[in-house]
Amino acid sequence: MLDRTIAPPTVLTDSITIPRADLTNLPNGVKLLVINEGEEDVCRVDMVFNAGSRYQKKNLQARAALTLLTEGTENHTSKQISEYFDFYGAFLNISVDKDFARITLSSLGKHLGNTLEMLSEVIKQPIYPERELQQWCKRGRQELMVELEKTSTLANQAFFRNVFGEQHPYGVFATPDDYNNVQQQILKDFHTSFIGSNNLTIILSGKVGAPEIDLLIKHFGSSKWGANSIEVLNEIAKSKPDLSKAFVEKPNAVQTAIRIGRELFHRSHPDYPGMLVLNTILGGYFGSRLMRNIREEKGYTYGINSFIAPFRDSGLFMISTEVGAAYTEQTLKEIYYEINRLITEPVSHDELLLVKSYLMGEILRNFNGAFAIADSIISLLYYNELKYSYYDNLFKTIKTITPKKIVEIANKWFQSNVLVECIAGSVKPQESEY
Amino acid sequence: MIEFDRFTLNNGLKVLVHHDSSTPIASVNLLYNVGSRDEDPNRTGFAHLFEHLMFGGSVNIPTYDEPLERASGENNAFTTSDITNYYITLPKDNLETAFWLESDRMLSLDFSQRSLDVQKSVVVEEFNQRYLNQPYGDVWLLLRPLAYKAHPYQWPTIGKDPQHIIDSNLDEVKDFFFSHYAPNNAILCISGNVTTDEIRVLAEKWFGAIPSRNVKKRNLPIEPRQTEQRVLEVTRKVPFNSIYIAFHMCNRMHPYYSTTDMISDILSNGKSSRLFQSLVKDKELFSNIDAYITGDIDEGLFVVAGRLNNNVPFDTAQEAIFQELSDLKKSVASTEMDKVKNRFESTFTFGLTNTLEKAMNLCYFELLGDANMINQMVMQYRSVTADDIMGVSSQIFLPENSSILHYKAENL
Repeated sequence: MLDRTIAPPTVLTDSITIPRADLTNLPNGVKLLVINEGEEDVCRVDMVFNAGSRYQKKNLQARAALTLLTEGTENHTSKQISEYFDFYGAFLNISVDKDFARITLSSLGKHLGNTLEMLSEVIKQPIYPERELQQWCKRGRQELMVELEKTSTLANQAFFRNVFGEQHPYGVFATPDDYNNVQQQILKDFHTSFIGSNNLTIILSGKVGAPEIDLLIKHFGSSKWGANSIEVLNEIAKSKPDLSKAFVEKPNAVQTAIRIGRELFHRSHPDYPGMLVLNTILGGYFGSRLMRNIREEKGYTYGINSFIAPFRDSGLFMISTEVGAAYTEQTLKEIYYEINRLITEPVSHDELLLVKSYLMGEILRNFNGAFAIADSIISLLYYNELKYSYYDNLFKTIKTITPKKIVEIANKWFQSNVLVECIAGSVKPQESEY
Repeated sequence: MIEFDRFTLNNGLKVLVHHDSSTPIASVNLLYNVGSRDEDPNRTGFAHLFEHLMFGGSVNIPTYDEPLERASGENNAFTTSDITNYYITLPKDNLETAFWLESDRMLSLDFSQRSLDVQKSVVVEEFNQRYLNQPYGDVWLLLRPLAYKAHPYQWPTIGKDPQHIIDSNLDEVKDFFFSHYAPNNAILCISGNVTTDEIRVLAEKWFGAIPSRNVKKRNLPIEPRQTEQRVLEVTRKVPFNSIYIAFHMCNRMHPYYSTTDMISDILSNGKSSRLFQSLVKDKELFSNIDAYITGDIDEGLFVVAGRLNNNVPFDTAQEAIFQELSDLKKSVASTEMDKVKNRFESTFTFGLTNTLEKAMNLCYFELLGDANMINQMVMQYRSVTADDIMGVSSQIFLPENSSILHYKAENL
């Protein structure tokens, strides 16, 4: 008779082989990383430039210059370009964060030759037609106005502003009015200054090999093109604002958005792996203390999470939740209670073992399939300049970290006077301390 | 080509196995053939609430998530109008943990009052977060009952009203479980570096002894044919006017389903699509516009949704949409057909690049009748003709088949 009360035996992964990308330098010096995985005839080309919003002189400059690449060249109109990519079933995604700009082409392998041809044209020869720019601004303004109706957006923006300061590239946000003020010339300036082979890394993933690499060499890797001397910006000192608390009023909101956290460090900091374990215990998985306490025991929210987000030069710790308006104060009290527990009370060996097992599964899941591998390697590139030892180190820390060390890290980074609390909702809560 | 094996246990549980040796992660997908269409009209949102309760402990195992996390696993679930779907990813070496947990909650839940009380509150907050605390969040609470007068698709999966959730009790939970959660009403798929033989052994061991149950026979009201246009206007505190137009369309297994799906692609899949080029870029009537099908198993909806630019009146916007839909009845270029077919192939292929996506899709197609349909989809879409597109457009895009929501911004 099967005894269902007894769990089947499990094994804890004791080593992880991190797939590495093949690194080559193309004839013109562009760095190419290749991940050949998968059975389906699909591939992805990611092109990463040091061209995030920190390099811009005016709000929206970087995003407009990148997003509008596909809106016209000397040879093709916006409509012809989109017809072309759509016809081959290719997807082009352009994203710009604070540090990097990334252009992602997803294509069936059989059409890569055609899709790269057009990609090369839009990246190298955009003309930024005035009418397309004005339409982009009008749509962007409307979308932002809708975003700003959300308590989650209001609390997020307040949080970044309070942590980094409004003058710092990590703390600045475009406003709807910024969309009234984007000139064609600044897009051209940005393109001329930052988009070029000297500032580019390419990541090729999927079912790929020599023919696909040859195509990349043909379009992006033979001779130098585009912006020639690029100064990669150094870390920017921040003017830390005094405000540790902010409340943004949003009348009639049925839920309150809460963000609590602080600035931390980037991924090469010695405390990073331990902080990852600590964050998981607190709010980094479904069984976390915040989720159990505030959702699964009290039902105040649909979800509560904490994150550690790395940037190129810095990093962030943030607790994030939306709670019923009537539960705001109780939720704050419980959040501070849980942070305080981390500082004062060593985690039990049993809970720590659970978190270790979960995290090892997470590392494996980060490498499940060609595109997941590509994403993990791109994040290594972003934050660690491709030091694969990051994963060995992370793995080792997860296996060996002790409850005592976790208390130490909590004490070092989570003292009450360093945490920033930003709230958006209909009612300002009473002060709560911990 | 996605290859798979298939077998059925004596209690009726269907099992699918897909072998993929490229990854140490295995995916386990368990689909229950129950959704919000199976709910009592006075207890809407119950199938989804029930999904939450499935994590509150089962008859022999006090918590679901914790043992899975100890096995390096991760899981989640979702509920739609038609199905409730649970899924796990974990290292292949710990696969048996997934069988242990899923089979015990299929055997029986713990039926704890405490879990019910807390999850009611969690679901009410989910209702708040997704439907009430978002600009335009309540659109589907308005559009569904406008379009459906008899069929249970008239309420969204979250339910008509949070009060239905608050009023539910433990007896209803038990009744729902034993009427819908049964091996003979479920499909299991394992995808990863596994063999069919080892899955057969595990399936027999953990699921084999669960008895078949009397699954409540599905007997849903048929939506009467709509005979006149319905228009609803609401005013909300949002920055811009929006318009939503819903047309009744065929069911999932109807030969016209793929044609109808392709019509939505011609209209709005990609920046070169008709609605974006004509109404956003050329005429500048909308800041964005989208056309899509709800993808339901019973007769679903074809929806056009657009956000109006300032100073564009509703009737101008609406007329322009109907004009575009009328144009589809007249001609479709062959390059346009090729384009949407290529895009479909690409989207579909990119959607099957990891073990979890494959496991989920295999279960869903098996529910529709045959998991092997997954390998015929691209061909099926390729065989649609321009005449099909024009013919189906002529049938669907009629004023008397439409339900229109004018969602007005308060301060405009």
